Amino acid sequence: MNDAAASVLEDPQRRARVRRRGGELGLLALLCLALTVAGPWVFDTYLLNILIKALFFAVAAVTVDLLWGYTGYLTFGQSAFFGVGAYTAGLAFTHLGFSPGIALLSLLATLAIAAAVAALAGWLSFYRGASPFFATVISLVLPILLTQLALSGGTFTGSSSGLTGFETFDLSLEAWYVIAALLLSAVALAAWVVVRSDGGRLLAALRDNESRCAYLGIDTAALRIVVLVACGMVAGVAGFGYAAFSGVVAPELAGFVFGTELIIWVALGGRGTIWGPVVGTLAINVAASYLSGSMPFVWQLILGVAFIVVILLLPRGLLPLLLAPLRRRAAAAPLPGLAARPARPAAAGGPALHMRGVAKHFGSLKVLEGIDLDAAGGELLGLIGPNGAGKSTLMRCISDGAERSAGTVRLGGRDIGRGGPERCVRLGLGRKFQNANVFETLTVAESLRLAGTLHQRPSWLRRSPLLALPDYALEVLRTTGLDHKLGAVARDLSHGEQQALELAMVLALAPRVVLLDEPTAGLTKTERTQIGRVLLGLARTHGLCCLLVEHDLDFVAEISTRVVVLHQGRIVMQGSFEEVVASSLVREIYAGTAQAAVPQPAPSPLAGA
Amino acid sequence: MPNTSLALEVEEVRSGYRASVVLERVSLSLADGEAVAMLGKNGMGKSTLLKTVMGYLPKRHGRVRVGGRDVTRLAPYGVARCGVAYAAQEQPLFQDLSVRDNLRLGLPRDRLFDERFEPVAALFPVFRARLRQYAGTLSGGEQKMLLVARALMAQPRLLLLDEITEGLQPSVIERLAGALRWERENRGTAMLVVEQNVAFAMQVADRYLVLKQGAIVDGGGTGDPGATARIFDHLKV
Amino acid sequence: MNLLLDVLSTAAMLYIVTAGLMMVFGVMKIVNFAHGAIITLGSYASFVVTRLGLDPWLGLPLALAVGAATGMAVEWLIVRPLYKRPLDAILATWGLGIVIGQAITIAFGREVQFVDSPVRGAVSFLGTEYSAYRLLLVPVALALCLALTALLNGTRFGVVTRAVIMNEDLAKGLGIHSERIRFATFSLGAGLGALAGALITPLSSVDPNMGLPWLISAFMLVMVSGHSMASLLLTCAIFGACQVLVSTYLSPVLGGVTIAVLAAVTLRIRPRGFAHE
Repeated sequence: MNDAAASVLEDPQRRARVRRRGGELGLLALLCLALTVAGPWVFDTYLLNILIKALFFAVAAVTVDLLWGYTGYLTFGQSAFFGVGAYTAGLAFTHLGFSPGIALLSLLATLAIAAAVAALAGWLSFYRGASPFFATVISLVLPILLTQLALSGGTFTGSSSGLTGFETFDLSLEAWYVIAALLLSAVALAAWVVVRSDGGRLLAALRDNESRCAYLGIDTAALRIVVLVACGMVAGVAGFGYAAFSGVVAPELAGFVFGTELIIWVALGGRGTIWGPVVGTLAINVAASYLSGSMPFVWQLILGVAFIVVILLLPRGLLPLLLAPLRRRAAAAPLPGLAARPARPAAAGGPALHMRGVAKHFGSLKVLEGIDLDAAGGELLGLIGPNGAGKSTLMRCISDGAERSAGTVRLGGRDIGRGGPERCVRLGLGRKFQNANVFETLTVAESLRLAGTLHQRPSWLRRSPLLALPDYALEVLRTTGLDHKLGAVARDLSHGEQQALELAMVLALAPRVVLLDEPTAGLTKTERTQIGRVLLGLARTHGLCCLLVEHDLDFVAEISTRVVVLHQGRIVMQGSFEEVVASSLVREIYAGTAQAAVPQPAPSPLAGA
Repeated sequence: MPNTSLALEVEEVRSGYRASVVLERVSLSLADGEAVAMLGKNGMGKSTLLKTVMGYLPKRHGRVRVGGRDVTRLAPYGVARCGVAYAAQEQPLFQDLSVRDNLRLGLPRDRLFDERFEPVAALFPVFRARLRQYAGTLSGGEQKMLLVARALMAQPRLLLLDEITEGLQPSVIERLAGALRWERENRGTAMLVVEQNVAFAMQVADRYLVLKQGAIVDGGGTGDPGATARIFDHLKV
Repeated sequence: MNLLLDVLSTAAMLYIVTAGLMMVFGVMKIVNFAHGAIITLGSYASFVVTRLGLDPWLGLPLALAVGAATGMAVEWLIVRPLYKRPLDAILATWGLGIVIGQAITIAFGREVQFVDSPVRGAVSFLGTEYSAYRLLLVPVALALCLALTALLNGTRFGVVTRAVIMNEDLAKGLGIHSERIRFATFSLGAGLGALAGALITPLSSVDPNMGLPWLISAFMLVMVSGHSMASLLLTCAIFGACQVLVSTYLSPVLGGVTIAVLAAVTLRIRPRGFAHE
């Protein structure tokens, strides 16, 4: 393993890319530093004033970009956290006086309160089955609630006029500028590093395909809450700084109008780019201050129209358009090298899959009834049956504890209970979907790296140089040629390649039980043979238990060790392929003249052809 | 009725879902009054063909004509208005609407209801008394009958049926076969029937086609002596 | 008694404002974030009528017309292109709301204005003196509910709209031009929103941002209530009652957010809200 790592690190192409990426980061840091230092010399007092406020706003905008541009959570509520920070500073300095000690304490209080509020908002917004739209509405309610709290606070909070005239840090304008610029630089650079790391790709995966993340064992709700808490705290600090600088705290700072302005700045600047929102916020605020003097309402109107136009025609914002030529020369992420991860020995403790009395009802409609099924490692079960027999429902009942209406499902001897897909995956399940269920904007290497999250937590700082996968996953990559396409984006792959990628991702989990939904759908003849070989190898050599739903009976004949026939929600027959095919009951089912199904849990004796 | 154009012409159509191609280059045609059974194993593209004709899936290549009119680029409502009725097991009825509402939605105008309902009620008398009942409370067999009844209310030129006999009792299947026969004889409606139930398909259609891996691999008259055997060969069970 | 009348009239106001949004949400499955601005447009229509010295009742049909026309333009220009991008549709309609608000400000100024009420004074009702106009809103809300229910259940347009709500693909396959239905529904919803604005203005005042708080309450109500106009009425009654109680006994400012908070918690516990399906 060390040799493999060493050889990857030595790879000249990889080293070149790492250098370029590092160079890019260095350049950005240098630019930030230059603007920070030069600012006080170059900008006049009026502009410095505007810029300092804009810089604090930009910090909040970066958090909005992380939440919206990267994880796909449209939030109007980051202003609430900004307001929390501002009011904590204002209240502390107004009612407790000012001293370095109080300043520090109130800063810590800001972090604590922002974190608590974010955790609550996260709990309300992110849970199994939550709709993204509902999360957005909650994010709108939060700032409204805080504004109302501020307005109803009487003289304590200053009501609609807010708090003014409290004593604060005695620093010159230039010093404030440097502080604000340093804060923004630190936050933006840190965000930039994070989004380009492996962990950052996890955020993009959340946005692209949250369901697939769940099926890779990732607790998506917890992840979203953690990201929200982190962003809430950062926005709180920005609000704290703003209040400390301006000496004025008003309810509008916590309101949803400000929250939507943040969205507008991020949208216009370019969502999902970190620097776009920074530039957008600064530019718009500076422009607004010069223009709104001469034409106040018209300026807002123009901004609104520009916003609509951007959403309609340029959803990615203006900055990406302007920087398009630079993008092409931007450094691509260094590709990791592939290495084998030693497979865990198959754990003892009961059959790989055990189902007893599993049923699923939709009101009075019985989709599945009395399902008893056992499967051991090394078996390849073919699940066949006419349309509407309940095959997909059966798969769902195995992979999601909340799905079934009755019965028990055990994976590797452990009950899945009512746990969601993440729990089933952690108990050793892998599920491959019929339509290639991958992450559209992630590369092959990034997708595979994420698939290994359960085994090795991704770094939030860098891209790991090594991609360690179980050898059967590597087999799939080699057989289909994906090992030479690690840098290709999933969306650009052919259908067959996407299917192979998804299979490799599922195998990267090193599961004990693999569910496959029509693995041969839409594949060419060669691809079909390839996947057949792969599946046989999985069962025979590596002892995985595979359950396939398939319509291609030739394929089932070739690779299955046992065939399970489902009809009208019940298992009517189990046996070898020859037994099943020769049975008259099965012939009748497929010819369509079968009456209501009679449950036959044991394989029926061979009936004459 | 003398007619120079065919009820349905499918020419070299290629289509599928997202990245995958399901139908390779399928061509077929139906004359008025002809009934053709589309057979084949699951996943071979039968439903995809009907959805493509109906306009739910974009055609990557080829043309589709109904009664001589090019419907290749039309949305499903455009195709429906050319006289095509589509009844599919997957998208059957509006469960929360009444039988009457389900039936009248098959019509272009409400005032045609009474006159069009008469012949349909003769075929499916069970609905005469049940017009106010919610479709979701009907039994499985009755729902399928309602599906066909609705399609017949539209008095289409072309009827597309997708696995409507799935899960039905023989008596209901008989009734459906009878209704389709009546429709063909009295109104000259062309039919493309996708089925897993080979016996039903052979009963209802004059011709059959077998679809495999997205292409038509076999066909013939349903009256041919060796037809059933050849078909079962393709289904390989 | 006064409290009861407050509850009833508040529920009525909420219903009138939300009905239009509900129609749009049901059919288009997106929320029109410009609804607040359209409400404001409706109230300014009333204001124009007052300024011109005309019969205040004329404000209602004017508002309906303005709202419907705006709805048509919005559906065609903004909502239809964004049909596949619902979150972006929210943003774009939000942006539109801002644009409309600014346009109103430029045209009318930002001061708070007042309009003439079509019905003035108080009446003696069941033992207390109560504002006649406020009381009038209750039968208006009921009439609206009846009218909309009749429209949706009794007419062909209504059945076709419900079909599109339930299963758009199936509806298309039956020859129903679903895009036209969406266009008509959106315009109707917008018209109703503007009408609501005109109806509630005599009770408060008119300023460019008056629609916004109604927007939030309306959303939460739409999300919590089920799919029928009747269940919306019930939801408005319950939540309206809570708002009035909190405003009266705790603080009017907190009363403003009661609906939002209650709805959020309700949906978290029971994602289907009050719908029984």
